[in-house]
Amino acid sequence: MSGYRTKGGIVEREHRMSFTFDGRDYSGFAGDTLASALLASGETLFGRSFKYHRPRGVVAAGPEEPNALVEMRKGARREPNTKATVTELYDGLEASSQNRFPSLKYDVGAVNSLLSPFFVAGFYYKTFMWPASFWEKIYEPAIRRAAGLGHASNEADPDRYEKAYAFCDVLVIGSGPAGLAAALAAGRSGARVILADEDFALGGRLNAERYEVNGMAGHAYAARAVEELRSLPNVTVMPRTTVFGAYDGKEFGLIERVADHLPVPLKHQPRQRLWRVVAKRAVLASGSYERPIAFGGNDRPGVMLASAVRTYLNRYGVAPGRRVSVFTTSDDGWQTARDLLAAGVDVAAVVDARPEISPALTDFASREAVRRFVGAEVVATKGRQALSAITVIDKAGEPHEIATDCLAVSGGFNPNLSLTTHLGGRPKWSDAIHAFTPGSKPSHIHVAGAANGEFSLTGAFRTGADAGLEAASAAGFEGGRFESVKTSEDAVSLSPLWHVTRSRQKAFVDFQHDVTVFDVGLAKQEGFRSVELLKRYTTLGMATDQGKMSAVNGHAIMAALTGKPMEEVGTTVSRPPHTPVTLAAFAGPYRGKHFQPVRRTASHRWAEAQGASFVEAGLWMRADMFAKPGESDWMETVAREVNAVRGSVGFCDVSTLGKIDIQGADAGEFLNRVYINGFGKLAVGKARYGMMLREDGFAFDDGTTARFAEDHFVMSTTTANAGPVMQHLEYCRQVLWPELDVQIVSVTEQWAQYAVAGPNARKVLERLFAEAIDISNDALPFMGVRAFRWKGLPARIFRISFSGELAYEIAVPTRYGEALANAIMEAGRESNIVPYGTEALGVMRIEKGHVAGPELNGQTTAADLGMGRMMSSKKDFVGRVLSGRPGMTDPDRPAVVGLRSVTRDERLRAGSHVLAKGAEARIENDEGYVTSAAYSPTVGGWIGLGLIRKGPERYGEIVRAYDPVRGGDVEVEICSPHQVDPEGGRLHG
Amino acid sequence: MAEIQLTSVEAFDGLLKPVGDLRPAGVKVRERSTLALATIMVRKGKRADLANRIDDCFGCALPDAGRRTEANDLALVSTGPGTWLACSETGGYAFSESFAEMLPGLASVTDQSDAFAILRLSGPRVKAVLAKGVFLDLDDAAFPEGRAAATQCGHVGVTLWRLANDAAGDPVYEVAMFRSYADSFWHWLSTSAAEYGLTVDETSSV
Repeated sequence: MSGYRTKGGIVEREHRMSFTFDGRDYSGFAGDTLASALLASGETLFGRSFKYHRPRGVVAAGPEEPNALVEMRKGARREPNTKATVTELYDGLEASSQNRFPSLKYDVGAVNSLLSPFFVAGFYYKTFMWPASFWEKIYEPAIRRAAGLGHASNEADPDRYEKAYAFCDVLVIGSGPAGLAAALAAGRSGARVILADEDFALGGRLNAERYEVNGMAGHAYAARAVEELRSLPNVTVMPRTTVFGAYDGKEFGLIERVADHLPVPLKHQPRQRLWRVVAKRAVLASGSYERPIAFGGNDRPGVMLASAVRTYLNRYGVAPGRRVSVFTTSDDGWQTARDLLAAGVDVAAVVDARPEISPALTDFASREAVRRFVGAEVVATKGRQALSAITVIDKAGEPHEIATDCLAVSGGFNPNLSLTTHLGGRPKWSDAIHAFTPGSKPSHIHVAGAANGEFSLTGAFRTGADAGLEAASAAGFEGGRFESVKTSEDAVSLSPLWHVTRSRQKAFVDFQHDVTVFDVGLAKQEGFRSVELLKRYTTLGMATDQGKMSAVNGHAIMAALTGKPMEEVGTTVSRPPHTPVTLAAFAGPYRGKHFQPVRRTASHRWAEAQGASFVEAGLWMRADMFAKPGESDWMETVAREVNAVRGSVGFCDVSTLGKIDIQGADAGEFLNRVYINGFGKLAVGKARYGMMLREDGFAFDDGTTARFAEDHFVMSTTTANAGPVMQHLEYCRQVLWPELDVQIVSVTEQWAQYAVAGPNARKVLERLFAEAIDISNDALPFMGVRAFRWKGLPARIFRISFSGELAYEIAVPTRYGEALANAIMEAGRESNIVPYGTEALGVMRIEKGHVAGPELNGQTTAADLGMGRMMSSKKDFVGRVLSGRPGMTDPDRPAVVGLRSVTRDERLRAGSHVLAKGAEARIENDEGYVTSAAYSPTVGGWIGLGLIRKGPERYGEIVRAYDPVRGGDVEVEICSPHQVDPEGGRLHG
Repeated sequence: MAEIQLTSVEAFDGLLKPVGDLRPAGVKVRERSTLALATIMVRKGKRADLANRIDDCFGCALPDAGRRTEANDLALVSTGPGTWLACSETGGYAFSESFAEMLPGLASVTDQSDAFAILRLSGPRVKAVLAKGVFLDLDDAAFPEGRAAATQCGHVGVTLWRLANDAAGDPVYEVAMFRSYADSFWHWLSTSAAEYGLTVDETSSV
């Protein structure tokens, strides 16, 4: 217990909040993070490391935090690997530590630390090599159990997530001094500005330092600037919003944490909102991350970044220790000592690795009586689960042990430039600031302030304003302005120190993945010297923090070991997302049954009321059967529906089939070129079956097309291909034959269309339409079509049949579809009409040998489907040339035949392979397969369709339908596909 | 057999209901079920003649891509190359027939009165709601009155156009979609608008 609350900070002390961590009660203030509130309560131990289960405390105060990862919330809302340093405190917050058993203080996994010589870099690659057969069964499951930090809830997320889109002239990323200046400069020009910051408090370092701006405290200046921005109608301020990626087309990905700071979202409020923002220009003002120094025991709880210590002191009013030491390579570390003293915290020592320091610093140390070590290094730390002392070796090589409960470390700053690399930009090493700065970058991203290596406060304001003006101007907005501000000074003289070579204890580079200086050396020794190989071999920078604190340090250590300059060693670049984004946000509201939209026909509600069940056909929902009470299984229902149609009359909603209106002087010629058979001479008032091919000669789609006028046809397509056929026809019309006068438009949704089929179909429709139209066999013979008025409505009737019975399709405007269903039922009452679904439809089309999806599968030719002779030789059509390729005309190609189970009630299944009787079940003996199968109540047995080699020549032959997957082995007879009413007498009845 | 009565069912029948806090509602919705609709597709090489003819008959200009025009109870929305959606308050199923008769040899006309469901969306927060589904810049400068677009909204293909602001000065849009998508569109709309409050406007005539 060492941290405590001071008198300072900008938290709201009048708003006290209660929370729990590992079941213990704590309290904090509004404006705290979980980390600041726990530090204020004296906690030092936050988690356990990934590999060695070492005790770990808070290191940082922002999203770069590698250690203080917790599980937030309970039950279905449990969320692992949440950074305590960016978790906004709320009343009732529940968090727990992770990657420990049985408790954070006593973790048995810490035994790994004793085995650490064994768990070095490349451990997996070396250990789990042999024997290979062990990988899947033993090694991988064991590794998976041990891997990962927290655990997902495994329950469905109860919260809602949204997606949203926005457009702006200037997107400003980060609301520190540079970002505020940029947003004000651009906003005052009238440009549409979005200012996004991942923090809940806007102002960046203005909230964390004791800066003065224009005579007021930095945080007060920030508040005033934000107030002005909010008052501008063209500016949108988005706190709690991380810009996580830059994408092509000047798009940016943003995640807005709408309700993460509440126990549960408010009613109607999403938990998070994923934004796609298109910005003409962006100003990246994302600041920098301080880097740690690798020295022995640098991961002990209590060792923190010096800038983070200042954040806790100045923003949250929390002293992370009672006797704090500083280990620095720059003037910036001394600022931490100043702020600690100002807050009344004892400073045990300042250890500066530089051989000399400025007289001003010497004076300061003398005046404040701060014990100082210049040209010295911290080489070791002490303490079990919290820091108790450090060992310093002074300039003369003398060791000193200093009692301290917190060590603030300052190793310099790395610009947070990752967004400049998402589109392929490469960072550039700067010897001036000893860090990588944005190098090549997309031209629409301007970089300002510390993100661009400009670390001074005045420089941040100045470069931010310049970038804001430049971005607005590039987006077409002049006249922005930003008056220069008067600020307190801050100094950033630095000479880098990457690691302390005299340390004997483990010196960590990547805290979260437990990568040490030794591991980097091992990678070098084993030849993995490129930064990309170093990353993969050691897992440096591959943890959930993506190496924000560790990557550059690792690369610098490799540079030192190989004796190469930093610009040659280079650094790795990052991919989106900059910080983790939950997958739920990417799914948005489109999950579960809303994963994709659903299309319902006009009879949907009516069918539901009739007890229909539904099947998905693309996006459409189609009734597959109408089970009646007392029917024990679906086969009974389907058989009843088939028998009703064949015995009397039934009706079926066929509205989902594609309907395409084709008009124009050349409409007939257009169809001639699209279909394999002729349509130009089709008489008005008639329909014809047509088959179309793809350009490559394979069968594409089929259906009937009716002619309502010389220049007006209506084509029908299969449900599945309605969209693709429309696309194909548009391509033909616009690209292949622009010379034709032809216009096409989908009318699928305009018409509710029902098939009425069965020997009593005409009787029912005569009752229904009465005087409206004459549908006698003479007036409307097979394949006749008519448009007419029925009770004032436009209506259409087509005498076409899929079931093989006397059948019609009738169509009315969709809003009358439900009324038509009721009317048909009423008109058919005396004939015991039944509605039937797609299952009965499927049985009847197999009985009639009509091909459908399973046969029109993209691998069959017109000839395979028994339509070879339909292909006109008198005209050209799409697919004609390529359908004549040798492979397409091979007489051995499997072709469609009918099949029937020899012992009638033995079940035949689609997918079974066909073998000659007595042939061994081997692939060489394969002669084709069963494409469709059904129990036919009409035939009284199992029947099917199949694609079988030389099938049409083999009628009467008995073969095996072999289905090893489901244990089927059935003798079937090859027969004509037309198993019911092969002469077609019923159609013409 | 009893005399058959045919009752129409609108696409959003039974779906539209108030959502969220309505004091005051951020968004108003109304189904535009009385509109007669037709697709107008220009015959080859007849665009100028078609434009003249429509101008003569209605005083309405044939809009360019991405635009909507209206005059004398005819609105034309550009929906693709050489293709427009014609909307009229009157005429019912006779609208497309009479329109076709007016344009012999100039355009192919197809009745679509039942193919599309059209919602009118208005109110002070309507843009915020549309921003959750439409990936288009709907700023006043980028998408003013008279603009139209064929786009997507919440995974549903839609045609969107903007009308004159309402009496309160709030933006007014209409969104047309194939009517079979009504349930899915309503799910998107009702959840997206809930935080602002949504009311169903059944009072005003147009």
